[in-house]
Amino acid sequence: MENKGLFLDLNDEEPESIYELFEKRGWGDGLPLVAPTIERVAETLSHVEASEEEVIAVLPPRGGSATYRDVAVNAVLAGCKPEYFPVLVAAVKALGDQRVNLRGVNTTTHPVAPLVIVHGKAVDELGFNAGLGTFGPGNRANATVGRAIRLVLLHIAGAIPGPGDASTQGQPSKYTYCIAENTKESPWGSYPDSLKINSESALTVHCGENPHNFHDMESNDIERILDKAASSMTTFGVNNACISGGEWFIILCPEHARTAFNQGWSREDISGYLFEKARMPAGEFRKQFDLLAWADWMQSLPDESMVPMTQDVENIRVIVSGGAGKHSCVVPSWGMTRSVTLPIET
Amino acid sequence: MKIYNPEGELFEESVQLCSTTPLLSGGKIGILDNGKPNANLLLTKVAEGLAGRIDAKVSIVTGKGERANAATACNPQVVGMLAEEVQLVLTGSAD
Repeated sequence: MENKGLFLDLNDEEPESIYELFEKRGWGDGLPLVAPTIERVAETLSHVEASEEEVIAVLPPRGGSATYRDVAVNAVLAGCKPEYFPVLVAAVKALGDQRVNLRGVNTTTHPVAPLVIVHGKAVDELGFNAGLGTFGPGNRANATVGRAIRLVLLHIAGAIPGPGDASTQGQPSKYTYCIAENTKESPWGSYPDSLKINSESALTVHCGENPHNFHDMESNDIERILDKAASSMTTFGVNNACISGGEWFIILCPEHARTAFNQGWSREDISGYLFEKARMPAGEFRKQFDLLAWADWMQSLPDESMVPMTQDVENIRVIVSGGAGKHSCVVPSWGMTRSVTLPIET
Repeated sequence: MKIYNPEGELFEESVQLCSTTPLLSGGKIGILDNGKPNANLLLTKVAEGLAGRIDAKVSIVTGKGERANAATACNPQVVGMLAEEVQLVLTGSAD
């Protein structure tokens, strides 16, 4: 791909000018953009202590070197406040982690997008929405950080629909996909703490589908609630059906989490219950798929055995997010990817 | 006014290219099935067509190795075996 130089000339700062310039060059996500002027990018970079030339990660498939400056440019384009920048830096570091398998995530025909989950002090300090409507719309931090990640993937990683992103239909979360953990309403403390990540602020990247909602307005019994989560998980339509190494993020609303806690349930109890409950007969999977990328112990099960929707109970990960009401969701994985949680260095 | 280019630079890794393959006439062609549906069929057709034109032979048709699939890397033993046995490998097709 041709390198087009560090700077571009823009006639003026009218919104239409940059919008048209980017459209002409095949850049952007289709929405209006903020001009990445020298001053705006410098202000964004002032929120980290690093050389602007330093490479955070090399992002496939294009093999673009994501320097601090390049990521700052895309942060400005997305409408991020400069103080969000350390969150973006952590997200790009996570995306560069080999466990994420970003080449596969960006280029597959599957509709997968990196879900960014912000944890800890950064949530309140930077104004992320961990409560009502955490998936959107309406909050600048959630919306623009998620959008900046997509712009980084489009511009630096080259995940452009067609040449760099083969997703058959795409999905809305490829525009922006960022939420925050509602630690204040989590009866089990923060998710990074459960992973023994000792940091005031952290971030998780999980590459998956859009959220699959489940609701239960009536139950005071967590098993009855989780049976609905299990029902959302047991489908042949997700990659987790034929790829057993995939993870599930179970994003509980505070009220469902509280019901579980009041019955004495831990995060691990919820994962364990779903591991046992979200199952279908091995023979049914075999009828549906010619190729099952399953763990050996699953391959050897007879047709009548009930097979879980992932090979390991630890692949079912539980966090709390959202506000009042009784809707929760599951986020299935693309399959050949692992979630990564990293500290945010502020 | 000036604005920044959003793409940044490409990472340029310094790599040594392998030497050019000598004439394939009489040589062996391998097929590495990347695990996508019908890749085997498509690659075999192409390889057989090529073999017929240059008097070569399609000698190996293999997958990426145990537990590998379209989204994972090829098992290094399979790569080693192909490097040892054939002069040309055809691999990869999309869905």
